[in-house]
Amino acid sequence: MIAVGARARLIVTLIIGAALPCLAEDAISGRWEGTAHIPDDELNIIVDLTQENGGWVGSIIIPGLGLKGVPLTDIRVQPPDVNFAVKGALGIQLNLRIDANNKLVGNFEQGGNRAPASLQKTGPPQVEYPLRNTPVAKEIEGEWKGDYIMLGYPRHVLIKFANHPDGATADFVIVGRKQNVLPVDLVTQEGDLVTVDSHETGFTFEGRLRDGKLTGAIHQGAIETPLVLVRAK
Amino acid sequence: MTNNISAIVVLLAMFCAATTIDAQSMFRGDPMHSGTYAGPAPRQFHRVKWKFPTGDRVMSSPVFKDNVIYFGGDDGNVYALDAATGRQLWKRATNGPAPATPAIANDTVYIGSYDGKFYALNAKTGALKWKFTTDGERRFEAKGVHGWQPKNQTIADPFDVFLSSPVATNGTVYFGSGDGNVYALDSATGDLRWKFKTGDVVHASPAFADGVLFFGSWDSYFYAVDAATGKEKWRFHGGEDPMIHNQVGFQSSPAVVNGTVYTGCRDSNLYALDAASGKEKWRFFNDLSWVITSPAVADGKVFFATSDSSLYHVVDANSGKSIIRQQGEAYMFSSPAVAADVVFIGVLNGTLEARDAKTGELLWDYQVEKSMQNNAWVLTGDRKFNEPFLFHSNWREAPLLANDQQIRIGGIYSSPLVVNGVVYFGSADGFVYAVE
Repeated sequence: MIAVGARARLIVTLIIGAALPCLAEDAISGRWEGTAHIPDDELNIIVDLTQENGGWVGSIIIPGLGLKGVPLTDIRVQPPDVNFAVKGALGIQLNLRIDANNKLVGNFEQGGNRAPASLQKTGPPQVEYPLRNTPVAKEIEGEWKGDYIMLGYPRHVLIKFANHPDGATADFVIVGRKQNVLPVDLVTQEGDLVTVDSHETGFTFEGRLRDGKLTGAIHQGAIETPLVLVRAK
Repeated sequence: MTNNISAIVVLLAMFCAATTIDAQSMFRGDPMHSGTYAGPAPRQFHRVKWKFPTGDRVMSSPVFKDNVIYFGGDDGNVYALDAATGRQLWKRATNGPAPATPAIANDTVYIGSYDGKFYALNAKTGALKWKFTTDGERRFEAKGVHGWQPKNQTIADPFDVFLSSPVATNGTVYFGSGDGNVYALDSATGDLRWKFKTGDVVHASPAFADGVLFFGSWDSYFYAVDAATGKEKWRFHGGEDPMIHNQVGFQSSPAVVNGTVYTGCRDSNLYALDAASGKEKWRFFNDLSWVITSPAVADGKVFFATSDSSLYHVVDANSGKSIIRQQGEAYMFSSPAVAADVVFIGVLNGTLEARDAKTGELLWDYQVEKSMQNNAWVLTGDRKFNEPFLFHSNWREAPLLANDQQIRIGGIYSSPLVVNGVVYFGSADGFVYAVE
């Protein structure tokens, strides 16, 4: 009787033990709101985290920094530890741990600075998904070139489109005094409007196919300059 | 014989001392704006000798005459301090910020203020001798300046931080104004001798050499005028930027050495112009980064720094060829001061740097307390500007707020003054420092 009871307790313990990480991981899924306490300021942070296809996905909102629904990267959830990053110019890292009060507490790091952060769960996750590359029409594929003037200096642009099963990609190069290969975040075609966006550098090309030319503009922040791309030979 | 030699040595020492003092009593040291200072310079940092608090930021550069430090404050006051102790001797209120560097001559302090007045004050007491009313001060402004939105709305440029610093020589005091004029006044009476109209704000300080006044304007031109008559001798056209008005205007003050005018420009060039003809000798392009600093010229070399690219440069004065190129931590608006074998320059991250004049190597730096506090993470861990934290909003007010945040960490816009091994400078934290 004693032996049977001990075995039963062991089995229950094993079952509960095996389920604990799942329960703990479920506890991480949700919307988390809180602050990073940087000197002379408090930065509001809203994080959405959820599991999808066996992995973690998430997005972040920081109103004080103009971030809305920016995807999280390098998400690592190993309860009680939760770590994730925001890539790009901002370069944020959050290293958190769930505490006895079910709060995520830890550090907010950016630009070589570190501040304490604390978040608490406020509801179910509302993860925002980034726009995805779309295919481009057959006549858009291939290499295009064009020229424009920026701040009195000539610039040469090369854009090369290629279709793939999960959408198009583009090489985006601007040549001034130096050759700049821009990292491309998004390539889309909506109707006849083609967009190539390099979010990190602030450069975007938008153009429509007209008479064999991609006619549109290049944007650098708030500066918009007309640009016509023709087929590169 | 020995007595005669001693007497000669004493006389020479007195002459040198007099020369030194005269060469520290106006912006960039002398009327030619060479930016060089006689006497020793600290190759090592030992201590803060004193620091003096004011009511607002200090963009003005200190000057020295007869053991007194003079400067203007953005709190509207003109100050005189005991150079040895930092004790206030007097202050005199104007009715606006005074981010200009005073000139001292004939026991008189000359300085302009944002109240649109130009003041002549008794150097001993601060008492008003006379004041002259210009057509009014204003900052450089343009629609959608620097690409800020909305592009059709006129925005005053927050980086136009200085007022024109006067140059006083031969009984005349010269200065530029936001009203677009350069004025020549009788230094004893304040009577107008002449004024020269340019097409936009003149906040650079004019330089004087061989009877000619040299200055740049935000109208994209650099001018040489006869100092006696105000008649134009030549003008040089810098870059223009009708799109966002970013790459236009002479905010840098010129240096005139050995018949050559050296000036920075917002069009990203450092220019060397023939002083007699205005013909371009060479230009040094800085990849669209502004050259706000006023160049210093010493030993056949030109010393200057850039804003956005934060580079410290030394180039050959004859050819413009690069001799030294060092990456700094943050934007530089402060102008380099060359003393002995050391170059001192302020950095907008709240640091004063001392570099070896021959190698450009950083010898030491001093970071003001506000900068170390790094409130609101204006700086990264390695003391660069934390741009994602500063420039994240599309609204036109946002860059103004970012600029204000940059200022609040104690940026050093002021150009260092070196006297007898002590370095004096102002900071946007509201203090004037004496370090040695």
